[in-house]
Amino acid sequence: MYRYAIIVGIASLTATSAVAQMGNPGFWGADTKMEKPGVPAPHQTNNTDRLFAQLAAAGGKAEVEFAKMTLQKSTSKSVKGFAEMMTKDHGAANDKLRELAEAAKIPLPKDITPDHTETKKRLDGLDGRDYDIAYVKAQIVDHQKTAQLLAWEIGSGEDAQLQRFAAQTMPKVLRHLQAAQTIHAELTGAAIR
Amino acid sequence: MPSKGVSSFVFAAGAAITLFSFNAFSDPLPPDLTYRPLPMQPFSEVKDQDEAMKPAVMQRQRDLFSKRYDLADRPMEGVMMSGGMKPVQAGVRVKLADGTTWDSLAGMKPAEIRDRGVLPEGFLPLPHVKQATGGQVFPQNQIDIIADQEHRDLRRFDVDFDLPDHLTPEFPPPIFLTTHPELGDVSRGQLLTIRNYYEFMNGIITPVQMEGLRLLLTPFPQEEFNQTEDRKVAEQSLGVACLDCHSNFHSNAAFHLTPDVRPQADRFRLDTTSLRGLFNQQIHGSKRSLRSVEDFTEFEQRTAYFNGDHVSATRKGVHLPDRPNQVAMMAQMQNIIDFPPSPKLDPFGRLDPALATEQELAGEKIFLGKGRCASCHIPQTAFMDNNMHDLKLERFYHVGKTYNDFVTLPDGPIKTFTLRGIKDSPPYLHDGRLMTLADTVEFFNLVLGTKLEQEEKDALVAYLLTL
Repeated sequence: MYRYAIIVGIASLTATSAVAQMGNPGFWGADTKMEKPGVPAPHQTNNTDRLFAQLAAAGGKAEVEFAKMTLQKSTSKSVKGFAEMMTKDHGAANDKLRELAEAAKIPLPKDITPDHTETKKRLDGLDGRDYDIAYVKAQIVDHQKTAQLLAWEIGSGEDAQLQRFAAQTMPKVLRHLQAAQTIHAELTGAAIR
Repeated sequence: MPSKGVSSFVFAAGAAITLFSFNAFSDPLPPDLTYRPLPMQPFSEVKDQDEAMKPAVMQRQRDLFSKRYDLADRPMEGVMMSGGMKPVQAGVRVKLADGTTWDSLAGMKPAEIRDRGVLPEGFLPLPHVKQATGGQVFPQNQIDIIADQEHRDLRRFDVDFDLPDHLTPEFPPPIFLTTHPELGDVSRGQLLTIRNYYEFMNGIITPVQMEGLRLLLTPFPQEEFNQTEDRKVAEQSLGVACLDCHSNFHSNAAFHLTPDVRPQADRFRLDTTSLRGLFNQQIHGSKRSLRSVEDFTEFEQRTAYFNGDHVSATRKGVHLPDRPNQVAMMAQMQNIIDFPPSPKLDPFGRLDPALATEQELAGEKIFLGKGRCASCHIPQTAFMDNNMHDLKLERFYHVGKTYNDFVTLPDGPIKTFTLRGIKDSPPYLHDGRLMTLADTVEFFNLVLGTKLEQEEKDALVAYLLTL
């Protein structure tokens, strides 16, 4: 049993690092320091890494703010359950992202994006079922965008650790998206796969 | 006997010569029967007259609708369209002729129904709101959003949209992509327009799809929306975009007249078809059987835009998309639009017994068997057979009667349309003559002579909702 766990551990580590570090050098930063030919030294970033970190950090911050607002405003059990999951999962992801960004010396935004400010204003004015539906719809859009953003970092980033972070986050984001779609379907009767 | 054979031959030869020489001397019918004439009045005068006529035009159409249909807002309990924004309407809405019931009709022979004049009028081809002028007519929701976002006017001064909102598709409809099933609806609950498409779709679609989308959202001159005096919009207009009718690649129930028939009074109405699942469609256009979406996309500039009159198109400013570049890209974008999700169907279009209800399964059995639906709407090929069929509805009525200036003639062969996502696409049939799924069941029960019981009809409707 113990030996089995070790083998699985090694196998998954190898798989993740192999997938995350085989980027296109044509799009690496011009000042990239190399660990060895074909492998950038740790925390070497290109523009994709830096923009990804900034957008993901702002998005993660917004998710937590929206979730807190929802826990106060919503009366729906499933919507509140979703908001709790957001606070927990995004809280952890935000911490991890901050750690990686600091290591790579990427400054992260203090505020949420203008897009999110707009959504927040709109949600502020709503109550009850209207609020729940608007919140869940906004969550669907946010998670759709996040899934595309993660795929961008996985495919085009340079910093292996950030890429690995994106790869590890992807299944969670897709699970959140699916959860939001399911709740939206429960609330409105919309079709889901 | 031989001499009779010889004389028949001589007679036939004589007839052929007579016909031949007759052709050489004959006049064709007047050109206006085929070609669009130029208006002979100043624009301002036409507009004044059209506006003065409009209340009577709309009243006449309302009268026809209320004679043919029950248009009440009666939604089905708990059944929404795929975006979850609009309920599906319940019940049969076509009105019966006096003294008949659905069962008594089903028991009569077609000729008897014809001779007694008891075919429900709602089963007849549906006239355009103003047949003599025809052309594209948009619903108010589309007019409002395009006015707001693009400052482009889709409102006609001669007619209004003639269907009540609750009998049309939800708006704006959701968009599902074959390339990103995991994302679900990517519309953000908004109508795609030239003002927002890039922000919504960047990061999700490819550059060629994006360029195709841009073209599908770009307005081009159209028969009623252009800059000449021959238009039905107040200001000189930039035109219309493909997705003005096919909102979010679905349909907003905007209607038109078929470009494939002349003269004007014989042209039947066309309800905008959805573009969902176009990738599985082998023939395009209810009458034209065009063989590729590229052909259809290219030719729509001649047809949806200009009624199949390339002469008129040239004068008003036709857009002729470049085949290898623009057309191909527009087609690529259209070809990634998926049907809405149908979780109860397996990969072959059959119900999963573990997920479907008893009634839905009973409906599927009727669909495949007694109801004969699957003879054309084959589940495995996205509920189509990629053929055109002639239902020969004229067995049930005397042809040639004029309703609201539209001459009721046989429909002839019409393409089999898909039934995937069908609850999202009212009204039904190529001209939108049927308001609900229950109407379609009664229509085909009569036309195909399937003699279904009420319970079977209800099961069939329940089944259609799962598609």
